Amino acid sequence: MEINYKFLIDTFYIVLAAVPTTLKLTIIPLLAAAPFAFTIALIRLQKGKSLWKVPVSAYVTFVRGTPIVLQILMIYSLLPSLLNALMKAWSFDINVFDWDPIFYAYIVFTLNIIALLSEVLRSAFGSVEKGQLEAAECAGLTKVQAYIHILLPQAMVVAMPNLCNLTVNLIKGTSLAFLMTVKDMTAVAKVSASYGYNYIEAYLDVFVGYIIICSIAQVLFHFAEAHMGRYRLSKQK
Amino acid sequence: MRPFSLQFLVDVFPILLPFLSATLAVVVGTIFFGSIAGGLLAWAKEGSYQLFQRLAQAYTYIIRCTPPIVLLFIVFYGLPKFCLEVLDTNINDYDKLFFVIISFTFLFAAPVSEVMRSAYEAIDHGQYEAAVSIGLSPWQAFFHIVLPQATVVALPNFGNSVISLMKDGSLAYTIGFIDLIGKGQLIVSMNYGAYAMETYLALALIYLILTIGMEKLFLWIEQRFSRHKQAA
Repeated sequence: MEINYKFLIDTFYIVLAAVPTTLKLTIIPLLAAAPFAFTIALIRLQKGKSLWKVPVSAYVTFVRGTPIVLQILMIYSLLPSLLNALMKAWSFDINVFDWDPIFYAYIVFTLNIIALLSEVLRSAFGSVEKGQLEAAECAGLTKVQAYIHILLPQAMVVAMPNLCNLTVNLIKGTSLAFLMTVKDMTAVAKVSASYGYNYIEAYLDVFVGYIIICSIAQVLFHFAEAHMGRYRLSKQK
Repeated sequence: MRPFSLQFLVDVFPILLPFLSATLAVVVGTIFFGSIAGGLLAWAKEGSYQLFQRLAQAYTYIIRCTPPIVLLFIVFYGLPKFCLEVLDTNINDYDKLFFVIISFTFLFAAPVSEVMRSAYEAIDHGQYEAAVSIGLSPWQAFFHIVLPQATVVALPNFGNSVISLMKDGSLAYTIGFIDLIGKGQLIVSMNYGAYAMETYLALALIYLILTIGMEKLFLWIEQRFSRHKQAA
């Protein structure tokens, strides 16, 4: 099979140049989603009936039950025109359609990650023994302090493997950002491939690019987990 | 902005639903071929050949790092070229379903091999030894004693893999395969972009029902298979 090696190597540099976009699409949604996911996890862990439980659970089920490509299509077809209508209604002189589409990509991935991350946190907090919170409160900590200083470090240790999976899946999911005309790795490869129909070479480049990024992410998580392992309760008693 | 049309949301369902079969064909075909491939991978990982073990582990790792859409594109553009130049057969005019199922088989095999491997390891090796000691052949011991128990252990994770496969399967429309989403896209473009929200919402509801139904189905199968489980 003939492979155009010159194109393969040239395009690899073009793909590498788009790596920052992929990283931005991963890191910003993760950070933006964290506080919301944390809140949702706490709401869902609460005992007894709460007004918020039903809509929050419905949201999580909706996000987990539909393909992300559908979420992208929905938000990308709704949000720009909705924002445009709002801007007009409030007579702001802003043209929404001039905005960088990456803005919508951030929103889609954040909304998606909020739900998935809340599930990770929920199971992680659920695994921390209840006595820990009670003991912290007895020792005079407020509930917020107890959560931040006592429960969170323990929960994060448990959450690490799932968090790693979530991040790797998000990195892979950003490959769909080209549907919103964001110039990420997949999009730039597609564009350079279309000049000479060198699709295989271009996608092989993207393939390698994702393997490298995901490997780095997994190594980082490995170190983070080892570092956080300090907080793990020793099993011997 | 045009107000949301509830009427269109209702009307679009009968147009979309016939294409459910295409979506399910991808899922069923991939489960079939992917489970065979996953079984082989699991066998390689558990086997005593170091080379096979390494290869299977490397394959699983690489797939874990590959976005479905990239693999789909590589197969869709690469496989016909490969077949034409190496095997001298023209598969350019094959049905797109063929390429979709091949891509997702590659993708599905990796997580399923891990599910199978961990289920196999969850079964106490003494079960196998006891079976062999009472005169069963190694194959009989595997198929009659180990496999039924491992299946029960594997079911929840297998169900999760199938559900994520179904969601990833929605990407097939990007190579022009007409499944639920593909038809949805056609409807949207036939209306010049109007009614996009209604169409996508209808699709979302269909997928929601599918995933929840799948979850319930696997729960039911698991309960059915657990009849013979001994109380701990």
